[in-house]
Amino acid sequence: MKILNYFFETRLDFSEPVKEHQFVLRCMPPNTGSQTVMDAQIIVEPPVTLSEQVDGFGNKLQVGRLEAPHDSFSFVSSGMVMVDTAQARAVPLHPMYLRESDLTQAGAGVKGFVADVLRVSCNASVLEKAHRLAEAVAERMEYVKGATGVDTTAEEALALGQGVCQDYAHVLIACCRQAGVAARYVNGFLLGEGETHAWVEVHDGARWHGLDPTNRREADCSYITLSHGRDFADCPIERGVFVGGAQQSQTVRVQVTDDAAWAALGTYSG
Amino acid sequence: MPSEAPVYESLLEHTPKINQQLARYGVKFGLYKNGQFNERLFPFDAIPRVIKADVWADLERGLAQRVDALNAYLADVYGEKQIIRDGVVPEDFAFASSGYLPQCEGITPPGGIYSHISGIDLVEGENDEWFVLEDNLRIPSGASYPLVARQLCRRCDAETFRDASLVDNRDYGDRLRRVMDNVNTGGLNVILTPGRYNAAYFEHTYLAEKAGAVLAEPQELFVENERLYYRGGMGNQLVGAVYRRLSDEFLDPLCFRADSLIGVPNLMSAYRAGNVAVVNTPGNGAADDKGIYYFVPKMVEYYLGEKPILKNAPTYLPFYPDDMAYVQENAEKLVIKDVAEAGGYGVVFGSSLTEEKLEDLKALIRREPRRFIAQEVVDFLCLPTYIDGQIVPRKADLRAFVLSGAKTEVWPSGLTRYSREEGSAIVNSSQGGGFKDTWVLS
Repeated sequence: MKILNYFFETRLDFSEPVKEHQFVLRCMPPNTGSQTVMDAQIIVEPPVTLSEQVDGFGNKLQVGRLEAPHDSFSFVSSGMVMVDTAQARAVPLHPMYLRESDLTQAGAGVKGFVADVLRVSCNASVLEKAHRLAEAVAERMEYVKGATGVDTTAEEALALGQGVCQDYAHVLIACCRQAGVAARYVNGFLLGEGETHAWVEVHDGARWHGLDPTNRREADCSYITLSHGRDFADCPIERGVFVGGAQQSQTVRVQVTDDAAWAALGTYSG
Repeated sequence: MPSEAPVYESLLEHTPKINQQLARYGVKFGLYKNGQFNERLFPFDAIPRVIKADVWADLERGLAQRVDALNAYLADVYGEKQIIRDGVVPEDFAFASSGYLPQCEGITPPGGIYSHISGIDLVEGENDEWFVLEDNLRIPSGASYPLVARQLCRRCDAETFRDASLVDNRDYGDRLRRVMDNVNTGGLNVILTPGRYNAAYFEHTYLAEKAGAVLAEPQELFVENERLYYRGGMGNQLVGAVYRRLSDEFLDPLCFRADSLIGVPNLMSAYRAGNVAVVNTPGNGAADDKGIYYFVPKMVEYYLGEKPILKNAPTYLPFYPDDMAYVQENAEKLVIKDVAEAGGYGVVFGSSLTEEKLEDLKALIRREPRRFIAQEVVDFLCLPTYIDGQIVPRKADLRAFVLSGAKTEVWPSGLTRYSREEGSAIVNSSQGGGFKDTWVLS
């Protein structure tokens, strides 16, 4: 169990004012079995009324609209969560996580890769298969920024052998689904990292387990979940449209710290 | 007492004039082919399809029953999923349908109605026996064609309509308005058109006028604080129901395709919050997929506890081993449909293929069983059709329009489409056929 403080700031600067800016944010951690939100706030600049909603995947949304011209947009999401993966709830599996999605279609590359990795593991459990695939993806891929984009598919990333956490996650998801293992894409933060992160959850028939192929480890109590979906396109942390032909530049700052002081507190009840 | 068939001969001489007027109205059919946008007139044939009152009464009951079951299925598949847990519809079909949109999970639309305007395509076999070929629950088009044709025919030849004992179909606009009013959350009724280059733009303008709704293009609508507004000349006005003639994937770039330039950003947030009725609701493709079609009679029994009144054409799902064996054995006499394609594309008659091509298709079906359905070729009736000065037989189908408001009602008319070529059974307007009025006798 860990108690984590997070601070997440995203700032968009526009080269000229934009208006009628509509956005959807998935930037506040939800309560799940393994994650309890103890404190959370969001500040948006320019100030605007936010509507909180839940999307079809169960993610928490902040929805808003900035009508007046503005040349920058920022949001700060911060708070404290308790993470205890041992508390992960049993949840029924939605079959969509067994099917290919646009960004995770298995082509010849993914199919061949999976056949190769799992050629001697017919009796392996779902989780063993997923771990083996995660290991193989980590082995095959090289972490390179700028080699891929947000629309890069799993098949393309695998062929390239390069990418960032999004690509690692898409490749692993495509492989898992190809092997009959239900898998989904997760956005969030990792303790000690200065950027947002993405990883994979696989369903073992009872509950979801986090696997982080980029860092070759399980997604344990050092991970804060923001959103999930079939692939990146279902659950981006931010998405917006506006009127205006501006160039935009984005600055993202993430800070996650382990609040050992809180974790060390004892409790009693009578 | 069955009514006597009305006389329509005198309408024939008016055919050229009526087609001229239709062209002037802009009754056109646009389609994209090879990346080019072409507009084509949708030829009108003045000889109507005539349906006897008692036959219509059965059709009416069967259609309303079918659409009620489809609406119940949509509520279930985006909600509790009981029919899937009970094994009536296999998971592989329910969620593999490209029209199933997980973004719509858990949303209950105003009034609990998903398919407000359903276009059910039927054909007539021997002995007044009808078969459903396809359900269209997304944004079925075509109601305006018989509507405007009836109006023009009456104008040209008032006598025929004075003598014929047929049900007036000119109330479609009122029916549409009632359907929208029934789910309106408080605000304007709006028909959302992608714009004048859309294939059905004529219909959008015509229906807006007839239903007394505001015709809006996407940039005239916006969402703020979970509410949809129309930017009118008199300030922004709240929208309570939007009949959107824009397909799901382009509806809201912040929920569906991010590259959609024709959507209304955050429309889904207003819909999700229950602050606007979207007609028909996004995600309805989950129930009108060619693969789901097979299960509709089962849905009628499952949800309504009734025997289905209307029949499907005999259909096989290669997904089931028995059906696969049958399809492999009999492919040359079946019609094979690719479930992912719409509008008459992806429909192949086994009999039209060379032996080699047929073997290729059979192999493809073995590789991707979920992708195809196979049907017996229903020998449906030809209707007399006036082409180049002669009355010739042409295969024709019927798109019946079922409107789900406070009650589920069938519009006593419909779009009859006939094939261009003799013997051809493909009647989709995108494949070059024409249309007829549909007379329901009183």
